[in-house]
Amino acid sequence: MIDITNVSRVYQRGADEIHALEHVSLHVSKGRFVALMGPSGSGKSTLLNVLAGLDRPNAGEVVVGGRRLNELSEDQLAEFRAHTVGFVFQFFNLIPVLSAVENVELPLLLTKLSRAERRQRAETALRIVGLAERGDHLPRQLSGGEQQRVAIARAIVTDADLVVADEPTGDLDARNAEEILSLLQTLKRDFGKTIVIVTHDPRAEKWVDEVIHLDKGLLLETRPGGGLRDVAAS
Amino acid sequence: MALPLSYGWRSLLARGMRTVFTVAVIALVVIATTLFWSLIASLKRTLVSSGSAENLVVMRKGATNDGSSQLTLESLQAIRFFEGIARDSEGNPLISPELVVQPFFATADGGRENVLVRGVEPVALLVHDEVSIAEGRLFNTSSGEAVVGRGVAQRYKDASIGSELKFGRGTWTVVGILESDGSSFESEVWVDARQLANDAKRTLPYSGFRVRVAKGADMDALARRIADDPRFALEATREIDYYENLSSSANTLYVIVVGLAVLAGIGAIFGATNTMYAAVQARTSEIGTLRALGFSRAAILFSFLSESVMTALFAFGVGALGAWALAIFISWLLGGIAFGAATFTTNVIQLRVAPVDLLMPFALSVLIGVFGGLAPAARAARMRPVDALRKA
Amino acid sequence: MKYLPFVLRNLGRNKLRSLLTASSIALAIALVCILRTMPAGLDSFLSSIASNTRVSTHNEAGMVYAMPYAYLQKVRAIPGVVAAISWQWFGGAVDLSKGVAFPNFAVDPEDFGRVYEDWNIAPQALEDFRKYRDAALVGRATLEKNGWKVGDVVTLQSTVFPMQLSFRIVGEVPNPRATQFYFQREYLVQAFQASGTPIDSTGMIWSRIDDPDRVEPIMRQIDEMFRNGEAETASETEKSFFGNFFSSLKGIVAVIQIVAGIVTLCIVFIAANTASMSVRERVGEIAILRAIGFRRKIVFSTLLAEAAILSTLAGVAGALVSLGLTLMLRNLTSSGPQLGPLTGFIVTDTILVQALFLAFLIGIVSGWLPALGASRRSVAQTLREVF
Repeated sequence: MIDITNVSRVYQRGADEIHALEHVSLHVSKGRFVALMGPSGSGKSTLLNVLAGLDRPNAGEVVVGGRRLNELSEDQLAEFRAHTVGFVFQFFNLIPVLSAVENVELPLLLTKLSRAERRQRAETALRIVGLAERGDHLPRQLSGGEQQRVAIARAIVTDADLVVADEPTGDLDARNAEEILSLLQTLKRDFGKTIVIVTHDPRAEKWVDEVIHLDKGLLLETRPGGGLRDVAAS
Repeated sequence: MALPLSYGWRSLLARGMRTVFTVAVIALVVIATTLFWSLIASLKRTLVSSGSAENLVVMRKGATNDGSSQLTLESLQAIRFFEGIARDSEGNPLISPELVVQPFFATADGGRENVLVRGVEPVALLVHDEVSIAEGRLFNTSSGEAVVGRGVAQRYKDASIGSELKFGRGTWTVVGILESDGSSFESEVWVDARQLANDAKRTLPYSGFRVRVAKGADMDALARRIADDPRFALEATREIDYYENLSSSANTLYVIVVGLAVLAGIGAIFGATNTMYAAVQARTSEIGTLRALGFSRAAILFSFLSESVMTALFAFGVGALGAWALAIFISWLLGGIAFGAATFTTNVIQLRVAPVDLLMPFALSVLIGVFGGLAPAARAARMRPVDALRKA
Repeated sequence: MKYLPFVLRNLGRNKLRSLLTASSIALAIALVCILRTMPAGLDSFLSSIASNTRVSTHNEAGMVYAMPYAYLQKVRAIPGVVAAISWQWFGGAVDLSKGVAFPNFAVDPEDFGRVYEDWNIAPQALEDFRKYRDAALVGRATLEKNGWKVGDVVTLQSTVFPMQLSFRIVGEVPNPRATQFYFQREYLVQAFQASGTPIDSTGMIWSRIDDPDRVEPIMRQIDEMFRNGEAETASETEKSFFGNFFSSLKGIVAVIQIVAGIVTLCIVFIAANTASMSVRERVGEIAILRAIGFRRKIVFSTLLAEAAILSTLAGVAGALVSLGLTLMLRNLTSSGPQLGPLTGFIVTDTILVQALFLAFLIGIVSGWLPALGASRRSVAQTLREVF
């Protein structure tokens, strides 16, 4: 699904030049649940942005779902993201003036579906994440965990193959964090989605198939996570 | 303890763009209201400043201006030796018989306007003592010569010294320029009274008399005596009152200006409030920190309010300067602003912003600063430190 | 169009700010409408008399110089002159302390209707005007201003002649902007005879020419006829006459336009400030929208639409406010004849349309840069900064 070859990314922050990624290569197979982990400043978020088509590397090749992202223009990348990727962020996921179901519907505005079809898909997605009855609520009426679940519903509503999440559990307490990680694992298991998350929460290890460690822009090691062990065990 | 004023203006400097916007809004409102107010005030100044406190205007009863009045030679002979009229060093009464006519003049840009031509005798300069010949000399009687007011010289064709000025039925040689401290005489042309009567084919030689009242004499008694004379239907008004009445046509415009200033001011208050609210929102964590450090609500309120007022006052300064410069520029560009007064004659007004014209815009700016900042400042003060810090 | 609910919802995000911005825009638009009524009143008046065949003849030296009344007969005799009447300024005031509030003239009643055919005065009114010595025809604006109706008797004190006359109103000049007051010349002549001094002069002569192409030559003919006579005349078309009459107002009108322009600039600043504030707050949200696939163009248009919709709605409110305010102004102020069309304070459809368009334009101009900036920000950069 994802093939990253020799990718480097440098950017300016004020007067400093930050080497976020240094010759990183990575392969993620379809249907895997992967976690990018590492200390702050390790480049994990940058790597996520690159493979999601949000950022262009200065060097190297990025192929996702068979498409060469290097060759795509801004508008084409936007289109790619709309169809292929679902996003979950740590904050600001939801538009505060829209209800939960309207938020989930948002990516569908980019498609040619009718109003009724959009609403139906959104409600389905909400049902999958277990928030069917909270569709009309505004984000401020939902708890942190519920907001993340709505964000996940939005990430899957276009039936995208890839779901990326940057620190999805960063702002949540233990119980909610477990719920979110479990939900993500369900998406992989029952819907075959490829999931890449960035996290520094060590609890995530037991849910994912693979843990990829980064530090200072370099990929250090890859090891299997608890999710794989579970699968092997079952 | 109070927050130092420097916190206020340094915050303003830090929020560069936003402060510039607010200053621009308030300054523009100040310019707009000042310009319009000055337009009317310049007009009023021209008209109302005309006239001397020691003169009376004598006209036919019922006439509202000396252009529509006609008086006989007999009436002049009758009243000229009345008690109370001032005398010159040789004992001649200071009474100026005048004939007012309003012929067409061609403007420099091809238009046509009525201009007040006053036929006078040399005694006129003594009675109208604020009028003086600034350049050249007074006309010689029966010579087809004219002196023109400063405003006339710059606005109409062939009106400078030495030119042949065409109006009425003939041509007049301009021999002098008169000035009168900016009053309406500067919009007039003075010629020999007899020649004018001839040219305008007037059977009655005069339209009015201007009378200088002797020092210490009872002006009202003299006016009454002139009016009560049964032989002629005359009335006498103080010259300053006479011109003030003429300027009443500008009153309508005053209403409009004030109304517009109110509207513009309210709009600016909304704009300023908007900006201040945004400032408060953006500095939520800052406020929280200040409150946590122990600054009282009142201190915060005062600080934000003074910020708002400082912005408004600064904007006022910018606007006042802008209006002052713009007024001069517009006046220069248009060759003076013409206003047709009640006499159907044109007064050439120099649009100027006088210090007194800035009082209303100043008050407006202060109001904008106070009301614009009040609600947001109150909100800032009411914030609980813990909420403020959390939002950050 | 499917984005419309989204756009509207965003306006409701910070209701106070939207309300404040809309209010200041509305007030400023109201202001611009009111200011525009002044030159528009003048323009409308001048264009309403633009193409007609009426000619004015007055003493070449100036309007206040008289002409012999006998000139009227001579002008009537010229072939091509359909009808001609004289106007003599009366300068009458209802209340001397308030001065002359509307123009009033003594005219010749027999041909009055033929010279002013296009004024659509009721035939019965014209008939009564001819029949009754003390009859008066009054413009609708003056009737309304003074609360007069047909049948009323009114008295005017002249400020140019030593006399006071009473008139019976027999009809109106139907134009809502018309302020003139006309009565019979014969009535004036008789009043003069009664006081011992006859009057045989007049101020102006108005003629109607049969054919537009004949206007120029006939004007020249009239002036030629009276050259070297007792009073030399200058004839010009009605449009030229009033154009000159009000030309002195050009300066004031110019200042008014400038003030209106400044006010408009003001609003743009206010609206731009709001737009940039509201966009800046949402920088994180906008980044996420772009992340999930919304192209720059869509982000740009929805942000721009927000500013434009708010502005246009505010413009509608402002236009309505101006209608109310001008109504008040009309009732509160009196217009002297020399300010005339300038103080009519009528908000025309044209002004309304212009105002709405202006409001829309303001939305676009003020929202353009913030929207552009927001849509172009590097998504990755924003995510880095915000998170």
